[in-house]
Amino acid sequence: MLQAINLHKRYKTKEVVRQVNMQLEAGESIGLLGPNGAGKSTTISMLSSLVMPTSGEVIWNSESINKNPESLRKTLGVVPQEIALYPELSAKENLAFFGRIYGLKGSLLSERVEETLQKIGLSDRKNDIVKTFSGGMKRRLNIGAALLHRPSILIMDEPTVGIDPQSRAYILDTVKQLVEEGMTLLYTSHYMEEVELLCDKIYIMDQGEIIAFGTKEQLKSLVSNNQTIELKGHLLTEEFGEVLKKQFPTASVRYEEDIFLVSMPKKEEPLATIFALAAENDVTITSAIIKIPSLEDVFLHLTGKALRD
Amino acid sequence: MLLTLIGKQIKMLLRNKQPLIILLIMPLVLITILSTALASVMNSGGEPAIQARLALIDESSWENEEESIKNFLEEQGLSGPSLDAVLTQLKSSDPIYILEDSILSADGVEEYISVEKKQSTGLDSIRKDKNTDGILTIPSSFRLDYIKTAYFNETQTPEIDLFLSQENEIRASIIQSVITEWQNGYTKSLALTKAGITLDQSLQNNSSVEKVEQVLEERERKIPASVYYTAGMLVMFALYIPSFLAGFALQEVQWKVYDRMILAGVSATWYAISIFITGSLVAFVQQLLLLLYGKFVLGIDWIGLDAMAVIVLTYSLFIGGLSALLTTLQFRTKSDGVANLFNGLVITIFSFLGGSFFNIGDVSTILAKIGNLTPNGATMTAILSIQKGRELEIIWPLMSVLFVAFSLCVLLSIVLFPKRGVTS
Repeated sequence: MLQAINLHKRYKTKEVVRQVNMQLEAGESIGLLGPNGAGKSTTISMLSSLVMPTSGEVIWNSESINKNPESLRKTLGVVPQEIALYPELSAKENLAFFGRIYGLKGSLLSERVEETLQKIGLSDRKNDIVKTFSGGMKRRLNIGAALLHRPSILIMDEPTVGIDPQSRAYILDTVKQLVEEGMTLLYTSHYMEEVELLCDKIYIMDQGEIIAFGTKEQLKSLVSNNQTIELKGHLLTEEFGEVLKKQFPTASVRYEEDIFLVSMPKKEEPLATIFALAAENDVTITSAIIKIPSLEDVFLHLTGKALRD
Repeated sequence: MLLTLIGKQIKMLLRNKQPLIILLIMPLVLITILSTALASVMNSGGEPAIQARLALIDESSWENEEESIKNFLEEQGLSGPSLDAVLTQLKSSDPIYILEDSILSADGVEEYISVEKKQSTGLDSIRKDKNTDGILTIPSSFRLDYIKTAYFNETQTPEIDLFLSQENEIRASIIQSVITEWQNGYTKSLALTKAGITLDQSLQNNSSVEKVEQVLEERERKIPASVYYTAGMLVMFALYIPSFLAGFALQEVQWKVYDRMILAGVSATWYAISIFITGSLVAFVQQLLLLLYGKFVLGIDWIGLDAMAVIVLTYSLFIGGLSALLTTLQFRTKSDGVANLFNGLVITIFSFLGGSFFNIGDVSTILAKIGNLTPNGATMTAILSIQKGRELEIIWPLMSVLFVAFSLCVLLSIVLFPKRGVTS
C-alpha cells in the first residue's frame, strides 16, 4: 500500500501542495483530477520519491520512503507529462536503454522490448528515430518506457496532453487493459472523462489541496441536487449569461467553445424562462439538453470554476 | 550500467550534427587553413634549450699516472730540472684537463652539456639510466699513451670510449659533436707537436659551442605551422566536449529522462562517473583523430610518442573531470548558463592565453606564463616541447597543472553533485 500523509511542498514562498492525504491499494485505479497548476504533478513527484516533501511522509509497505526511496522506486512505472525519451535514438534503442538501466539484458531484454512495442502499437516503427514520430506515437512510447520492467504501480501524469483523438483513444484503451490486468494505477489528468473512464476512486485537487475524494458515484452525489442545461444557438454571449445569472441567482454559467452550460439546483424548472429570456434578448436557442451530472459539474460545484479554466 | 550510460551518451553525440561539426570538422578545417596560411611565417626560427647529460669516467688521473710517466721519461733519459720542466709542460697541455676545465666548463657549452663524474664500478647502472645521454670513459693509461705518441713517436694512439644513448638523438649528437671537436683538437696538437710546433691553444678553441649550435641548428625540430596549429586546435576544441555533455545532461533533466534513471536505481555517483568516462573517452578519440589527420594529411612526423601518449591521456582525463564538473554545476543551477558562459568566454580566454591562436609568448612572457597555468596552455606547451625534441621530463611540471585542475574538477563534482536527484 502506498500512502501519502499530510504532504506539503513549498518552493521558496509559494505553497504548491498543502496537507495532501492519499491512499493507493494494490489493484486499485485512482484518479487525481484537477486543473493545470493544481499541484498534481508535484504530488505524484513526491509520491514517486523524486521530490522531497517539505513536510509529511510517503509510506510504502509501512515504511517511510523519505530516507529509503529505493524500496519503492523499482516497483514504480512513472509516465511523466513530458516526453521522457531520447529523440535522437530509435524507439527500440530507447526501450532497450530504459530496460538495461532496470537491469534487463540479453534475450529477456529483447523479449520485453518486442512485447512492449507490440503493446503500444509501434512494432512497425521500432527502428525509426523518435524525433520523426507524431505526438501520439511519442506519448505511446513514453508509456512503453515505463512498462518494460513490469512495475506493480503505474503513475501517469497527464499522458494524453496535446495529442490527436485517435492516439488518445489508443492510449486510454491500453491503460484500461493494464488496469483490467490488475495494474495499480494513479492517473492524473484535467480531462474528467479520462479519469471517469479509467479510475475507481477519484481525488479532486485544486490550489494544492485535495478538495474531494470518493468513487465516481459518491462524488456525483455531491451534485445530485443539481442539473446542468446545455444550450446551443446563436448570439449566446456573456451578456446573456449575466441575464441568466440575474434571473437564477443560484446558477453558475460557463462556456465551452460554442456551448453554453448552466448549472442550477434541480428544484428550478428553467427551460421556459430561458427560452423567454432568449427571445427578449434576441438570442436564438437551437437546442437545450438537461444533462446527467458529471465530474466536471462536481468540480464546478466545489470550486466555482471549470476544470479547464 | 556504466557501459549503458556511456553508450547512450556517445550515441547522442554522434547523432547530433552540432557536436560533430564543432568537435571534429571545425578543428580539421582550422588546422588546415592556419597551417597553410601561416606556413611561411612560422616555418622559420626555433629556440634551442636542450641540455645533454654526460657521465665522465676518468680512470687516468695525474696522481695515478704521474709515477709511470716519470719512469717513462727517465727511461727516455730525462732527469732533474729538465724532467720537471717537461712534466710541467705536459700538465699544462693535458687534454683531459682541457676537456674538463676548459671545454666542458665553458659558459656556452655548460648550457648544453651537464657533466657528472662517475666511477667505472657503476658503469652498468649508468648505462641503464635513461637520464644519461652519453658516457665518456678515459682509460687509465690515456696520458702516458698521449705522451708516448706526442713526444716519442710511439704509434699507440691514446684511445677513449664514448658511449651514446639511443634515448634522445639530439642530445647524443650534442655530446658527440663536442667530444669529436676535442678529439680533433688534441689530434691536431699531436701532429703539431710531432712537427716541433707547440700550440697548446689549438685544444682550447671556442669552436665547441659553435659545433653544438650547429648540431642544434641541424637536428632540433623547428615547430612548423602544421604542428603548432594541430596542437593549438586540439587543446582548444577538446574544451567544447564538457559543455556538450553537460548540455545533454541538462536536457535529460528537463525531459525527465534523468528522473527515469533515478527511479531505475541509477545512482547520482554512477551517472557522474559515466559523464567523466565519456568525456575522457571522447577527448581521447578526438585528439587521436586530429593527430592522425596531422600525420597522414599534413605529413607531420610526430616524435616522442611515449610523451605524447602521456600528454593526450592526461588531458583527456582532465576533460572528463571538467565534463563532470560542468554537468554538476548545470544540475545545481538548473540552467545551461554555466555551459554557455564556458563556451562563450572561458574557452576563448583560455585559448588566447594558452596560445591556440598565436604564440602568446611573442606578446608577453607574463601572459605566456599565465597561459601555461591553464590546462590547455600547459598541454599545448608540453606537446610543442616534445615535438622540439625535448625530453619527457620537461612535461611533468606542465602535467602537474593538469593534475591539479583534474583533481579540483573531480573534487568539486563529488561535493556538489545533487545526490537525491534533480527536478527541472
